[in-house]
Amino acid sequence: MLVLIKSAPNTVEGKRGLKIARDTSSDIVLLQDGVYFMVNEMLDGYCGTAYAIEEDVSLRGLGDIRTGVKIINWDGLIDMAAEEDKVVGMF
Amino acid sequence: MAKTFTIFLTTAPYSSENTLTAVRLADTALRKGHNVNLIASGDGVYCFLKGQKARGLPHAGDLFAELISKGLKVYL
Amino acid sequence: MKLTVLLTKPPYGSIQAAEAVRHVMGAVGEEIDVKLLLVDEGVYLAKKGQEIGSTEYTSLEEALKDIIDMGGEVFIDKSSLRDSGLDREDIINGVEVVNSYDISQILLDTDKTMIF
Repeated sequence: MLVLIKSAPNTVEGKRGLKIARDTSSDIVLLQDGVYFMVNEMLDGYCGTAYAIEEDVSLRGLGDIRTGVKIINWDGLIDMAAEEDKVVGMF
Repeated sequence: MAKTFTIFLTTAPYSSENTLTAVRLADTALRKGHNVNLIASGDGVYCFLKGQKARGLPHAGDLFAELISKGLKVYL
Repeated sequence: MKLTVLLTKPPYGSIQAAEAVRHVMGAVGEEIDVKLLLVDEGVYLAKKGQEIGSTEYTSLEEALKDIIDMGGEVFIDKSSLRDSGLDREDIINGVEVVNSYDISQILLDTDKTMIF
């Protein structure tokens, strides 16, 4: 399962999205304010694969942040969503 | 294989980034040959009003009109 | 008249940051004594290197720089900055880092506060 998170890390929605992803062993895609999860190791304790949408990352000036998060474009997201059995979100 | 994506848009055009996200998802999926439906509900219907004069952020009216011409199916 | 604009939300995801910037810009243009306070996730407004690309958004980083150039005062809450994961060097020049006491004093001293 793929969980889409568009809310910032300090919001109830953002926290809920990450918890559901963790509890269901799902991968996550960060977009909109969700890309702020990339900074300050806010994904600590999350073991799945995290992706972030390049356009939303660059828009917020986070392009230079080095993390384990994989940067993808919209094409990448559509391909993943088409392959995945289930997509949940956006939180 | 072509799939069908259905986007449920409930937010007003200029209060959040959802407008741009919906546009990007629809545009990308259409370009890849998928079918895309968009259901506008609640404040989402305001994205489709005629005569919007937005500046400084993505123009919902123009962007969705272009997507409709590319095959986006919109249901209010 | 002293005006303080308090921003608690990050840029682009919602209209709040753009509205805060717009009202501060308007006040600076009217030569009103205005201060912009960035707290909680509002601190991300001051992140360097925002690239609008083909999004059609106005760069809020550039707008914030314009406010500072025009004499608007911008303050950022030290503890919010720490929680955000950003450092002082990630923030554009001309923004003053202040503590909770300083923020209280600004709010006590101002005539009107607008919260976004």
